[in-house]
Amino acid sequence: MNKILVIDDDKDFQTSTRIVLEKNDFEVASAYDSDEGIRKVQSEKPDLIILDVIMSKGYEGFDVARQIREELKMRELPIILLTAVHEVKKVPYRFAPHEQWLPVDYFFDKPIEPQVLVSKIRELLNISS
Amino acid sequence: MKVSDVVIIGGSAAGLTAAITARRQYPDKRILLIRKEKLVPIPCGIPYIFGTVGSPEKNLIPDTPLQKHNVDILLDEVTEISREKKTLITRSGNGIEYKKLILATGSLPMMPPIPGFDKENVFPVYKDVEHLTHMQGMMKGSSRIVVIGGGFIGVEVSDEINKLGTHHVTICELLPHCLQLAFDQEFCSEAETLVQERGVTILADRKVVAIEGNHRAEGVKLADGTTLDTDMVIVGIGTVPNVELAKDAGLRLGPTGSIWVDRTMRTSDEHVFACGDCAEKFSFFGGKPSKLKLASIACSEARIAGANLFGIHRESVGTIGVFSTAIGDRAFAVAGLTGELATRQGYEVITGVAEGVNRHPGSMPGVSNQKVKLIFEKRTRVLIGTQMMGDRAVGELINVASACIQHKMTIDDIACFQMGTHPALTASPVVYQFVNAAEAALLSMA
Repeated sequence: MNKILVIDDDKDFQTSTRIVLEKNDFEVASAYDSDEGIRKVQSEKPDLIILDVIMSKGYEGFDVARQIREELKMRELPIILLTAVHEVKKVPYRFAPHEQWLPVDYFFDKPIEPQVLVSKIRELLNISS
Repeated sequence: MKVSDVVIIGGSAAGLTAAITARRQYPDKRILLIRKEKLVPIPCGIPYIFGTVGSPEKNLIPDTPLQKHNVDILLDEVTEISREKKTLITRSGNGIEYKKLILATGSLPMMPPIPGFDKENVFPVYKDVEHLTHMQGMMKGSSRIVVIGGGFIGVEVSDEINKLGTHHVTICELLPHCLQLAFDQEFCSEAETLVQERGVTILADRKVVAIEGNHRAEGVKLADGTTLDTDMVIVGIGTVPNVELAKDAGLRLGPTGSIWVDRTMRTSDEHVFACGDCAEKFSFFGGKPSKLKLASIACSEARIAGANLFGIHRESVGTIGVFSTAIGDRAFAVAGLTGELATRQGYEVITGVAEGVNRHPGSMPGVSNQKVKLIFEKRTRVLIGTQMMGDRAVGELINVASACIQHKMTIDDIACFQMGTHPALTASPVVYQFVNAAEAALLSMA
């Protein structure tokens, strides 16, 4: 069974995502801030990470992604980044996956349909639905 | 509720061209173009507002072509597409019914998610007159400007600001060279030397890790620990397709996150088309997804979308990628794959280079050096890439090369190419660089 680590400070999102993922045969681990996230990336050895940009504490989700790639050298571990930054800030620019600037595999704006998230996870893990 | 046979959302290069094409193909249809902006900047002209052209107001797409082609214009923002009812809702409450819809919603600048990116004097190059005017105003009080990104936008913006003679401009580029995604190393180095001779500082192979300061950017911190003092930061690291409206309408997105389209520019809904920066692209070479975004590609796609609305007439062959730029009097241009990219994609290549004067005899006025590099696929001998540097004529000569690539001409076709020459206008027929580069490639195979 593939294990997914969800790093997000939003408890409601953690709960609803866990229900959806477990229903779709994934094992779920949770971390509620970036330090715990980095620890659990190493201890839980997940197959994929769902990472929130964690609006309440600035933009540290971006740093978590960079740390996973650059410091932990986990360059192949799929990372899906979720954020509400575009909607909340109404800015005339966008963040996007980029090998150097934002080393994640996919980027979703919240809110996200559970089935869209599940099909992207399956695609990144090469699991046929 | 208003009714229009064709509705186009977006008024930049793709939207305008799609509207004109639709009118040419379908003279009896009612065509409406909806755009948010009262004034629309010419996208590729944006760097020149900072120097040569002087202001955003002198770099505008006129409404005259739309009026001349009997296209209605609505200044409003579409907030919702109902595909079932084939209707649109706008911000000011207008309801519009369509038969066919073209999405030409463009792209937005990409921002690097580094600490300090949201300071008030950090500017992405956003295609909006008000934003650009604000940026230009901020520039007046800024003597030190750091530009993040050494692609075409970064280099052109830097060179134009530098022309004013009142700012010191530094480009920070992640890759070992500026323009590296477009050109092979020898062309990048030549362009960098020119830009630096003109007064711009280039820091290549350097990563920006933070923008420092309180509310305003005061320093740009690099990964090597150094900090560049600055009064203003301009960001030109690429663009992201603007697909929110399409996504909300349930249209399928493609592998690069753009709106999925087939070769006829139809989206996953047969009544909705997409073209330009918002639409998914595939490479002419091998068909893989392509992230290239250029106004020239957008217009080519718009000519396909506009023609196919009520029946299929045209198909895309994929993105070749033709770029050119000018640094002072020198022009640099590229069509198709670079040698480096071709090799990385698995092609076995043969290259040929020819260099010489662009007039004959060399004592003619206006003489300058012209260099042409041709890249062929070894097994089929087909031309897959061309790079050129020379005077401004290479801006058009590269389009000849693109035609040769699009029609899969071989090394022998190019070696026997029938060109026209004139002493005051071109290189001599004997040394004609485009042909002699093919001869050089043939020789290297012997």
